[in-house]
Amino acid sequence: MGDLGGLNIMAEQIIFYILAVLIAIFSVLAVTSKHIIRSATYLLFVLLGTAGLYILLGYYYLFAVQIAVYAGGVMVLFIFAILLTNRPGEKVKSERKDRRIAAGITSLAGIAFCGHIIYWNINKVYSLVVPDEQKVQEIGLNLMGTEKYQYLLPFEFISVLLLACIVGAIMIARRR
Amino acid sequence: MLLEFSQPLEYTGLANWFDTTLGSWSLPVKLILVAVALLAAYAIIAMILIYVERKITAFFQARIGPNRVGKYGILQSVADVIKILLKEIIHINNVDKFLFFAAPFFMVVASMLTFGAIPFGKALQAVDFNIGVLYVTAVSSLGIIGVLLAGWSSNNKYSMIGAMRSGAQFVSYELSAGFALMTIVVLTGTMSFSEMIAKQEFCWNIFNGHISSIIAFVIYLISGHAETNRGPFDLPEAESELTAGYHTEYSGLQFGFFYLAEYLNMFIIASIATTVFLGGWMPIQIHGFDGFNQVMWYIPSYAWFFGKTGVLIFLSLWVRWSFPRLRIDQLLNLEWKYLLPINLVNILVMVILVIAGLTLTDLFPILAS
Amino acid sequence: MNSILKYFNGLFTGIKSLLIGMSVTWKELWTKKVTQQYPENRATLVISDRFRCELTIPHDENNEHACTACGICQMNCPNGTINVLSAMIETEDGKKKKILDTYTWDLGMCTFCNLCVITCPSDAIKFNNQYENAVFTRSKMIQKLNHKGSKLREKKKEQPLKFPEGGLKDQVL
Repeated sequence: MGDLGGLNIMAEQIIFYILAVLIAIFSVLAVTSKHIIRSATYLLFVLLGTAGLYILLGYYYLFAVQIAVYAGGVMVLFIFAILLTNRPGEKVKSERKDRRIAAGITSLAGIAFCGHIIYWNINKVYSLVVPDEQKVQEIGLNLMGTEKYQYLLPFEFISVLLLACIVGAIMIARRR
Repeated sequence: MLLEFSQPLEYTGLANWFDTTLGSWSLPVKLILVAVALLAAYAIIAMILIYVERKITAFFQARIGPNRVGKYGILQSVADVIKILLKEIIHINNVDKFLFFAAPFFMVVASMLTFGAIPFGKALQAVDFNIGVLYVTAVSSLGIIGVLLAGWSSNNKYSMIGAMRSGAQFVSYELSAGFALMTIVVLTGTMSFSEMIAKQEFCWNIFNGHISSIIAFVIYLISGHAETNRGPFDLPEAESELTAGYHTEYSGLQFGFFYLAEYLNMFIIASIATTVFLGGWMPIQIHGFDGFNQVMWYIPSYAWFFGKTGVLIFLSLWVRWSFPRLRIDQLLNLEWKYLLPINLVNILVMVILVIAGLTLTDLFPILAS
Repeated sequence: MNSILKYFNGLFTGIKSLLIGMSVTWKELWTKKVTQQYPENRATLVISDRFRCELTIPHDENNEHACTACGICQMNCPNGTINVLSAMIETEDGKKKKILDTYTWDLGMCTFCNLCVITCPSDAIKFNNQYENAVFTRSKMIQKLNHKGSKLREKKKEQPLKFPEGGLKDQVL
């Protein structure tokens, strides 16, 4: 059985590297592509790759939510919005040079910031993130619980926020 | 965790044989076999469905239907497959080639991913997530991206309008389909298909939650039917206005992908309804009638599954050939003014039924398995 | 309150009408299928008598027909489908008489409007229901309708030469 386990881990590693490379490539493509609808599609691939990582970790619930919310919900709305804009087929013009430099510096700063955090905290991941299947019931109870480390209040705040968004959208749409 | 994917082979005892003869390589071999079996089932079920649909359609219209290729035209869809494989894939100028060619794969991959989670019989399930219902609703929502991309990248206003309609329709109806499934999740307290089926041994969910379940069942059938762009809801491809909607520009195998996905989606909707509402592969069992139950078990579980699914598919065809096509505003009215409010009330009713202990299994404890 | 009543009323009448529709199609599912499987059922295929397929000049056993070569059918044909060629002969008693030489009819041009049959004063032509009219060349569609060596059927001497009682009118109606 040990032989089999080794193979299993090897397969998981191979899948992980494939997914990681795909996520990296499509992230870069999503930013550099000149067609806005292609950017959206590459972003979709990135989100799907992330979902793949979740399933590799055994977080099925997170996987399903990632697919349903991001790939099935947000991306559909993105593509819908892009289709409704004037000329989705046109190439996006390049930005001015000073802006490009500013954007480059910002993104480098972002990479440095994230890299710093990841570098100093990478060891904690092994103790915090356990590749284990989360029961939906547990997640649901935690979301709806009022005790410590439970999330009823944030949950309700988010729902109020969404309600406010919807009311606002209706107000904007109704104004003649 | 990858081991879970090989459950179907354990059913037949093949898995043990592979383990003993192939040693450490048995896992990849099993995975590949499961994948091949699923893909084959995918194609074969689609072919059978196309034949059955054409026959039943013909009967509804007082015709005979395909009857030239083979006895009763049984080989008609085989011939169609050969034809569609041999057809030229036409390259269209001024389209976004990458998106144009990627779009059909979204459709097929989405329906294949859903297909993997369907329990076809006792232990005949490729993937048994503990969030089966959520997984199915999540993954099936990927298909709409294929439709939208196909419509946009065809560089054709008919395709574009068809895709937009399809998108609006799908996003709306997915909502009530999800809510209808959630009603049953409230009833059973689990999202896993296998647990759901196990709980339905003596009392199907559709009877267990009586009023609420039946309403949820009807709503799920309607919205599932609408999600597959068929029947009275096929206005994304209304041929009189939009030629063929989002797949106007596709030909050959690419069109075949859309076609395949459409038929498989019909099957998937029916099989999920079977699993969630009608007890899945579980034979009809009556508490106390042990002899009868034993006899029912002699009929293989996949026969039960395909039988129940077949009834639902027939229902879908019946609806398809009974009603005229809806207008887009009527379609959205149906969803947002009728199905969704009824659904929200229904889910509340179900919560009350469960909490107050008014479900059939609560009232008659012998029905609980 | 009224709008709520209207909402539920609409819902239930809608469901009822849908169920009625489904019951109609359910009955239709079991009706006899009307498809004719043509090449196989040639022997038993019934074509209605009124169906117009081919224009013919009925000939009796003496190879005689009723066409006087008056040309009314040719004049009435909207498409110029009919072409009546007549010939002059001299009868035994020395009178000159116009008889039919060739009567051609072009199947490809005909719209089967039946005007020629209606207007024929001597009921010489009619449509039959021989429906298998497909040929390989267009020239075969132009048919000669009077048989070889046929001649006009002699009228009974006693009858005075006039139109039959209301003959034309009867035909039109």
